[in-house]
Amino acid sequence: MAELHIIGQIVGASGFPESSLFCKWGVHTGGAWRLLSGLKEGQTQVDIPQIGDMAYWSHPIDLHYATKGLQGWPKLHLQVWHQDSFGRSQMYGYGYCHVPSSPGHHRISCVTWRPLGSWQEQLAQMFIGGGPQLRSPDIIYSGADRYRLNTEAMGSVELELGIIMRHFDKYGVDG
Amino acid sequence: MTDCWNTDNGEAVFRTRDMVKNLRIKVRVEKVTSTAALSQHLQHQVLSQQQDGGAIELQTLTSQGHKGDNEEELVVGWQEKLFSQYEMELFENEAACQTPLERQYHLEVKALKKARGRRNRRIFTYTDHDRYTNSLPFNQLQYSSILLNTSKSWPTFLAERMTSLRQRGQDQQKIDCGVPKAKIINWEPTEEFVRNTHVVNNVMQTMHIMADLGPPEKLGQKENECLLVTIKTDGSGTVIVKPDFNKGREPYRIVTGEKKEVWRLTVENASTVMKPEQKDREQNIYRDLYTQHMDYLNSLVGQDFEMPPVGVLRYLLNGEIVSAKGFEYDNLYIHFTIELPTNWSGSPNQSLSGVTHTCRTKPMGKEDVAFFSHLFSCEASYTCDKESEGTLLQWPVLYFKVLSLDSWQRCRTEGYGYLLFPAIPGTVSALRRFFIGGSPELEDISYVRIPGTFKGERLSRFGFCSETTGNVTFNLHCMQQARSFVDANMLRKKRQRVLNQLGGFSQQGAVSSVQEAFQRARKKMQEAQENLPKDLISSTSQLQIELSSQLKTI
Repeated sequence: MAELHIIGQIVGASGFPESSLFCKWGVHTGGAWRLLSGLKEGQTQVDIPQIGDMAYWSHPIDLHYATKGLQGWPKLHLQVWHQDSFGRSQMYGYGYCHVPSSPGHHRISCVTWRPLGSWQEQLAQMFIGGGPQLRSPDIIYSGADRYRLNTEAMGSVELELGIIMRHFDKYGVDG
Repeated sequence: MTDCWNTDNGEAVFRTRDMVKNLRIKVRVEKVTSTAALSQHLQHQVLSQQQDGGAIELQTLTSQGHKGDNEEELVVGWQEKLFSQYEMELFENEAACQTPLERQYHLEVKALKKARGRRNRRIFTYTDHDRYTNSLPFNQLQYSSILLNTSKSWPTFLAERMTSLRQRGQDQQKIDCGVPKAKIINWEPTEEFVRNTHVVNNVMQTMHIMADLGPPEKLGQKENECLLVTIKTDGSGTVIVKPDFNKGREPYRIVTGEKKEVWRLTVENASTVMKPEQKDREQNIYRDLYTQHMDYLNSLVGQDFEMPPVGVLRYLLNGEIVSAKGFEYDNLYIHFTIELPTNWSGSPNQSLSGVTHTCRTKPMGKEDVAFFSHLFSCEASYTCDKESEGTLLQWPVLYFKVLSLDSWQRCRTEGYGYLLFPAIPGTVSALRRFFIGGSPELEDISYVRIPGTFKGERLSRFGFCSETTGNVTFNLHCMQQARSFVDANMLRKKRQRVLNQLGGFSQQGAVSSVQEAFQRARKKMQEAQENLPKDLISSTSQLQIELSSQLKTI
């Protein structure tokens, strides 16, 4: 049985059209993985930066997994939302990244994209906001239907993750 | 007759795993009076005289009087409330008690009066709950005089806040993994709340041991109260004692009152030590707890781990196509395929190719960039067989092409590229520059790198026109697993451990081996000496001296 510790933070996001953002995040693993402690999903606070473009969350991620195999390595999915002054929330981007598989400190920049609708929907989006969303963020992981999507590029989310691996070398894994 | 005093009044920090309620402190105050000093001196003289000569034993006369007036020794427990004369008189009067705590004191005082009376006389305590603990005058707390040499110094705003913070109690919320149910934002903070939370501080429980050092007839005056020892603890095993225990050194000096009397203070730790059997039992309990937890963890997942068969290297690649930038047109998507060379095999139910979604670019700096963040993973196994031992190991390749699709369904190839799977495990961020071959498309995408049909020694692409287009960024995390790594790692670790064990003694070992060699040589020399005739002994002894000196310098 090998153990993996993921200890880090979601630092913040930048490059989006508006800066008052919050992020919903989650970690998805395969069947052989077991979460021993920590929360595997959450939502940050809304940050409204006064100066500059980057919204900072510093949201902690502290997970401890045990696993029987290498398949289904943990993946992180992020959804960045924008909250305007009226309190309405609008989807600003989906982002996906693998959790690094080598021990140490990693600084990851996860890029995000937003689905686009027809041109009528885009026009409406420009005025009143809203826009199409994925029915479920997990369909991305199957990977088969992704080519049907029409998207546009949004900003990027910065993460700092520290990875500690235990007993992996006992089973001959070289990370 | 000058006594030596201990001037080190600083606080001492102790850490303990035991509960603080087991703490016991023995405090002793003793007045330094002229008669006391004199009688001590006389006693010494008499004793020394007695030891010298065989004089008649004399009984030393000490002024018995009221011995308890000039000295007192007491063992105080943690947060044990001992009343001073002043407090006894104050709490006897029921009308003076306002808070529930004072009413409780009143009951205790009444009970004490009915019983034998209190066991302390001069020494008393202020516990954490007393209102006096907070308002001890600043000059008695002696903090300002420590820092500056002026006698009058007013505490700063921050110092005031800090002292009032130290004596206040508990407002700690332990927030573990879960989200706290209480309100996160306090919309109307009170003054006390502001004071508690705006300064970073460990909340400590405090206890002051005081003494009433007035003349014995006039006990119970508040001006004669003097702070002896302060004990502070936080909840997690830190105990701060100010001043520190004497531990056999000279006592501390207290100067009081207008008459400037001098008192000696001795502080000792009188807590009972845990018996070794109890300690062992505690250790056993902890050990059982930890092994139970480990067993529980193991039972959750199981001891086994999926291993590749013998002689097979399993290669796991977790990759992401991050972004594409610098291309001519908009609405880009990427079509990628993974090619496994000979001796490599993939698992049957995974697809070795994929298509990302179409992404409209946005300007970033001077270039237009499209974000994909498309995750893919590939697991491949390499079997090493005898035939291919001579050739170099060929790693799998990822071929991709970038295409653009616009609203009129025109599909255009924007570029081709390839990426070699990293040979060293780890995380790689790779940028790949493209090239596009005119308007016709490449029939065989492997032409991008080394065509599949290539057999010669030199690859010539003469006549092939291309132009450079944009970049595609990939993030690749690679892991390799093989049974042979297990033995190698284990061997390395075992060797390291053995080396560490040897290394620690290596110097000692060297010295002892040299000494042994010297002893052996010496013995041989002695034996040889005995067998030699006498006239040769002088020269051999000189040789021996030289030999021994040489060996000693090593």
